[in-house]
Amino acid sequence: MSAVEVDLLIVGAGPVGLFGAYYAGVRGLKVAVVDSLSQVGGQVSALYPEKQILDIAGFPAVPGRRLISNLVEQAAPYDPVYLLGQEAQQLERVPRADRPDLLIVKTGTGAEIAAGAVVITGGIGTFTPRPLPAGEDFVGKGLEYFVTSSAEYAGKDVVVVGGGDSAVDWALMFQPIAASVTLVHRRESFRAHHGSVERLKASSVQVVTNAQVTTTKGGEQLEAIEVAVKGEREPRTIVCQKLVAALGFTAHLGPLRDWGIELNDNRHLVVSSAMRTNVPGIFAAGDITDYDGKVRLIAVGFGEVATAVNNAAVHVDPAAQLFPGHSTDNPASVPAPA
Amino acid sequence: MPYVIAAPCIDIMDKSCIEECPVDCIYEGERKLYINPKECIDCGACEPVCPVEAITQDRRVAPEHADFVDDNRRFFTEPLSGRDDPLGAPGGSHRTGPIGVDTPMVAGR
Repeated sequence: MSAVEVDLLIVGAGPVGLFGAYYAGVRGLKVAVVDSLSQVGGQVSALYPEKQILDIAGFPAVPGRRLISNLVEQAAPYDPVYLLGQEAQQLERVPRADRPDLLIVKTGTGAEIAAGAVVITGGIGTFTPRPLPAGEDFVGKGLEYFVTSSAEYAGKDVVVVGGGDSAVDWALMFQPIAASVTLVHRRESFRAHHGSVERLKASSVQVVTNAQVTTTKGGEQLEAIEVAVKGEREPRTIVCQKLVAALGFTAHLGPLRDWGIELNDNRHLVVSSAMRTNVPGIFAAGDITDYDGKVRLIAVGFGEVATAVNNAAVHVDPAAQLFPGHSTDNPASVPAPA
Repeated sequence: MPYVIAAPCIDIMDKSCIEECPVDCIYEGERKLYINPKECIDCGACEPVCPVEAITQDRRVAPEHADFVDDNRRFFTEPLSGRDDPLGAPGGSHRTGPIGVDTPMVAGR
């Protein structure tokens, strides 16, 4: 178990959470950001990293991936602590004399984060990979849902399943190091970035379309799979030691549901105009919030998280002012223009 | 702000969209699928996979299918035949399984 002590914990490392980390830094708060995904950027990184986003003030068009790296850069001078690949699960409250309660959040990997306040920027909830039904017996024994280190695939026969960016990118990443790479996709055409699909066609990756994995075989470890191809009477057997399922994600509110926060429509957190939830010390911002007149846009989320963090700063230190001053007030803290 | 499924889905129900939806908000009636407007996040993943092009954003629905915008909503906000309460926002169609009933408008087509 590892313990982290901060002034403010942000739950959700999507764009709104990352901007909140910047704002916490501006307020002089020590901040940690926790996310169940192994990368920052939330929905933007997981669902549309290549999409041009057109409603960021001052940026006529910015690709999702670049928006996220810019947000990380913006927060970096304040050294936020990132706790990735772990879901915020339990909330405990420890009363303190003359100060607001300490909030302790435990994550799925056993980390404990103690914070004076929490801002939830959980968007549409926790992402979990869509399971490959035929592969359940080999989870962790050859079947993977995330690629953490490409070294594990060197010299192996690898099958990737899926038709989106992750599937195609991973197949291309394995191709130079694996003994063989096969990409199995349920449809004829790929949803991935056009350029990646062109590279795929030019590569030595074996592509099997209109096909589904029906069986996984092996002993302790995966040894082969069977693939049913539309129009073929017999299933094909493909020898492989690694099977990577990139079938997308589903998102659910997850354990936040049990934190006692008032919900609307079973999925949104009700907040006041100060972005406070009904639970003292817990604030929220971005797509996950709800109030009369709510508009779920990234542009709105950025404003909400500034409100949430500044109100959280006052919660942590009731003597503090709500208004933080302007970002240009202290020239020493302004990074040199790129 | 949601996507909407219109007439071409009736009696087809390919369900590819259900496999794509990241928030599991597409529910199965008897002869047609319905997108829950309270749960849809407007990501658009369902639109290109529909083999009969039944899915569009609610603000771009063809005039001849305009009544499906309200009809998709009604599937969740009004009690369906044989039920006392509306479905509301059940939090995912994997949780509910097929609903097995259509709205009166779809049932009448």
